Amino acid sequence: MMTIKKLFIRDGEGKITVLQTAVNLLLALTAFIVFFSFSLKRLGLDLDFSFLFTFRYRLFQGFGATILLSLTSLVLSLLIGGFTAFGNRSHILPVSYLSKVYVQFIRGTPMIMQVYLFFYIIGTAWGVSNRFIAGVLILSIFEGAYISEIIRGSLESIESTQLEAAKAVGLDNRQTMRLIVFPQIMKRTLPSLAGQFASIIKDSSLLSLISLIELTQTIREISSTNFAIFECYIFLGFLYLSLTFPISMATKYLERKFSYEN
Amino acid sequence: MKIKLNDLCKRFTSGEQVLENISYQEEFKSLAIIGPSGGGKSTLLRILGGLIMPTSGEVAFDEKTVTYTEKELLKHRRNIGFVFQSKGLFNHLTGKENIMLPLVHVHGYQKKEAEKVAVGLLERFNLGDDGGKFPSELSGGQQQRIAIARAMAIKPRLLLLDEPTSALDPELTSEVLDMVKELQDDGQNIILVTHEMGFAKKACDKIIFLVNGRLMEAGESPSLFSDPQTPELSGFLSKILEWKV
Repeated sequence: MMTIKKLFIRDGEGKITVLQTAVNLLLALTAFIVFFSFSLKRLGLDLDFSFLFTFRYRLFQGFGATILLSLTSLVLSLLIGGFTAFGNRSHILPVSYLSKVYVQFIRGTPMIMQVYLFFYIIGTAWGVSNRFIAGVLILSIFEGAYISEIIRGSLESIESTQLEAAKAVGLDNRQTMRLIVFPQIMKRTLPSLAGQFASIIKDSSLLSLISLIELTQTIREISSTNFAIFECYIFLGFLYLSLTFPISMATKYLERKFSYEN
Repeated sequence: MKIKLNDLCKRFTSGEQVLENISYQEEFKSLAIIGPSGGGKSTLLRILGGLIMPTSGEVAFDEKTVTYTEKELLKHRRNIGFVFQSKGLFNHLTGKENIMLPLVHVHGYQKKEAEKVAVGLLERFNLGDDGGKFPSELSGGQQQRIAIARAMAIKPRLLLLDEPTSALDPELTSEVLDMVKELQDDGQNIILVTHEMGFAKKACDKIIFLVNGRLMEAGESPSLFSDPQTPELSGFLSKILEWKV
């Protein structure tokens, strides 16, 4: 009896054995699957995924578009986030307040509203008609605000003694940034940034609202021709999970690695 | 080395006056700044090291006045070693890399030469095994000794130490003070803020005593302790020595 109980209870030191992981993970997954199958049964639905195979080429394209869109936006949002994080702390007050207003506005409004605003009003006014470029810009502006806060947080966590020591050994401001501040915030932000990349991938699905042909839009189009909504969206979920799951593993790995060194 | 302070004042933007009209002139090898907490000792040391600017007044070393402009201060700092109370090592670098960084990026050493200097210093101060460790893996005493080694690597004209032992457990204090003593014996010019009266008395030749931002008393080392001229200093010494073994 005790040994069975031991399988399901975390020990006093909070350590989990491999056997415990395997058993409990299996249990959780089974519960999850049983719940969904039961729900489907109640609805009397019989799922048939085989038709997706005929759309494999389009799905593959959509999948690729989502990856390309997310990667491009990751780079651009890192730049935006970096600049506004430093801008936030700038001695030049207009720059500081511009950064603050940007972050507050983006984080304080839903992305769906921003997608419409930026695409139909700002995009049209400035002649951005290419949907992919518009999509990258919208997504980067959105995610940039979150990345800005991540970077600002780690900037603030740098101890003042580190900066004073940099001054004392004779580094100038630029060297202090490059040799001291930048490496230190890299270590601290990398795990959170990896997590944010998963958000970028998921949030990119909202760009289907402006008919940008990425993964979600592809599924929308397919499901509107054959009305197999359930199969389509369940499959869509798996595709996103196949992208975000490895990232989430990488995030955990980075967290462990850097918490050990500090 | 000669030091000359002329009517030195420091007022923070909050309006708080931390140093008031400090004037002092002396030739020293080892100068200890002592006094109660909040008396302006660290502020004075930071002004001497060119880390902060005085509100008014003059500082000169060996008859050369320190110019308090950002450009000139950068040069000034590059000739001086500064050791902080604690946490002065760069967290993301190992002990050895900490010593190498200023050599490579400020003093133009090749990486190889810098490494040779760093290894040499680490061995000299029995830190050979700790050079590859990050600050978080080192004891407070080891961190301070590496910080001193880093400050010494550039062969500074003057070494400034701001309470280098006050954040340490008592049993670690002596390993740091031994190292400072060894440097003094090698002829290194030192200015040190300290609460270790025994060290100030035995190892330093000149003392200045600061209270509330004012220079209360200054003099030669052993005699100032045995024969304090002001009631403030005798009060301070008796308080500090009250529980001494």
